[in-house]
Amino acid sequence: MRRGHRVKAALVGAGQIAVEHLKALQGMPTVEIAGVCDLSRAAAESAALRHGATAWFTDLTEMLRAAKPDVVHVTTSPQSHYSIAVECLEAGAHVIVEKPITSSLAELEDLLERAATRDLVVLEDYNTIYSIAAQEILRRIKTGVFGAVVHVEVMYCLDILGPGGFADPNAPHPVLTMPGGAIADFLPHLASLAHAFVGPHRAATSIWQKRRDSLAPFDEFRGLVEGERATAALTFSCSAQPAAFWLRVYGERMRATANLFETRLTFTRVREGLGPLGGIVNGLDEGKAIRRAAVQTFLSKFRSGQGGYDGLTEIVRRTYGSIADGTPLPITPQQVREVNLMIDALRPREVAP
Amino acid sequence: MRALVTGANGFLGTAVVRALLAHGHTVRALVRPVADASELDRMGVTDIVRADLRTARDLPAAFEDVDVLVHLAAAFGRAEAFPATVGGTERLLDAMRGTDCGRVVLASTFSVYDWSSVTGTLDETSPVTEPSALYGRGGYAISKTWQETVTRRYAAENGWELVVLRPGFIWGRGHTDLAAFGQRLGPVQVVIGPCGRIPMTHIDNCADLFALGADDQRATGETFNVVDGAGERIWTFLGEHLRGEGIRRLRVPLPYRPVYGVVRFLFDNVLGRNDELPSILVPAQFEARMKPLRFTNRKARQLLGWEPPLDYRECLRRTWGAPVG
Repeated sequence: MRRGHRVKAALVGAGQIAVEHLKALQGMPTVEIAGVCDLSRAAAESAALRHGATAWFTDLTEMLRAAKPDVVHVTTSPQSHYSIAVECLEAGAHVIVEKPITSSLAELEDLLERAATRDLVVLEDYNTIYSIAAQEILRRIKTGVFGAVVHVEVMYCLDILGPGGFADPNAPHPVLTMPGGAIADFLPHLASLAHAFVGPHRAATSIWQKRRDSLAPFDEFRGLVEGERATAALTFSCSAQPAAFWLRVYGERMRATANLFETRLTFTRVREGLGPLGGIVNGLDEGKAIRRAAVQTFLSKFRSGQGGYDGLTEIVRRTYGSIADGTPLPITPQQVREVNLMIDALRPREVAP
Repeated sequence: MRALVTGANGFLGTAVVRALLAHGHTVRALVRPVADASELDRMGVTDIVRADLRTARDLPAAFEDVDVLVHLAAAFGRAEAFPATVGGTERLLDAMRGTDCGRVVLASTFSVYDWSSVTGTLDETSPVTEPSALYGRGGYAISKTWQETVTRRYAAENGWELVVLRPGFIWGRGHTDLAAFGQRLGPVQVVIGPCGRIPMTHIDNCADLFALGADDQRATGETFNVVDGAGERIWTFLGEHLRGEGIRRLRVPLPYRPVYGVVRFLFDNVLGRNDELPSILVPAQFEARMKPLRFTNRKARQLLGWEPPLDYRECLRRTWGAPVG
């Protein structure tokens, strides 16, 4: 790609998450949104109008031919990711694919191989790794103040079975047919975060449960991972309320707690020489940080911005930077492979009760 | 005449089905797969097609022997509204192609109008929201505007007869808490522009015009606003609502223009023009809820000779009086 020319981006699948991708692209002056494609003409046209795209299409092949995008964002339903990504790669475009990237490891390996052969990028959106909180924890780990990571807990509490949710009996979500059902849509969040802190898995075990009557095969998930650097406990709960996305990282010298649905991020650290007063100082510090975060979370709802998708904006920005000047990708093919191997190891092995 | 009615078990749908039957038409009701259709059963509607417009693949069969499509189905919610309302309409009208059905009556809404640019009287000649301003509106307005656009395109491409009906606030039993009432803050109801009129239509009056539009050739190719008249004042109807529902709430009146000015200032200078805020804080959405304009049903009266069958007192009685058989 020539330096200095505007990168041509395109997107296929103009649904809910597409809005976040398009907002991220709109904020990048070096990018032209050359096309938006959806089976619904109105959805494609509306998204193109709203986000300043040059053209809209209802046929992917036609978009690839006419718009000639450098990068295609694939934000369709999960089962269609593979075939769409293959067509984009064949047309010479880099692809950024929403999670879950493929329905199987075999499809993933094929995608990665096709991309490598053509010197193109295939990247799965792990936006939570690039959230402000996760990046701050990773920064402290890198500087050494955190000490080595010992254990990580990732807990996602969200009622996905409510009205209009994944298991709407009137129109069940396509992801329900994937192994793990609706929870399969959230496993990449859990596994990518765990991977960022503990590395690739050596062993993993999981429990899948169904607490509520719905079309979803499961609504509770627990996973335990032995990573190369530490251990991780992963949880998805449909019934535990209120909604939260907890990330807790336990280090040798520090402990971090973040709610990724909010701006809450607190650190508790070993305080040399304070003895029993260390607990009091940590408690006061943590209380202050929680109060400040509560106010920031409230105020952030009244300001425009990326909301909970700041990580996606960062991934998109870094990926386009990498494509333009060869700086490291925010998410590497090896990372995508390892995260998906972890997910595969955690998948349900038996048919739902 | 046989009408295929989408959203037939909803608040508007059941009333429209009842009105179509009263006008002597036959009804085929299209409802979601697990929707409660007991009200349709009570009306004696046995021709029920179960399908979800978001996913259905066998919709063409629903048009067999149908003369007119009365399309009422729509969804609410920022994320859900567009794929369900607009995508569902595309899927439905794709299915209608190639069938003998050649007439559509669409339930649109007052929300499609560009409330910011209208002064004086809002009528059928008032401008609808331009695409450049549309995305500052709520999800419902965005999806309903696109739904109307899509339906007009299909009708033009296929040579179908089209009647577009744009109701204001539709009210009736269990549906009297209107967005025009302002902002509730705990036990206090802040009423913004209390003397403003509400563009309102009682459910049974509204349904009557839908039944009329289903086969009246004078309506073909026309767009009608559906209101029962000039509308009640916000303060007055809020009082009826609180009384009728047995709610104790302190009403605090505030003048429209100064409050709008404050909202405009905050939106432009403090809130970063974030149109995903609550609608009371987004000027375009604030106006669509409460802007003091005049409303009229003159076009339906003059062109169709329509008179709302129920007067206001009867509407109140049907809403909060004894249940009507």
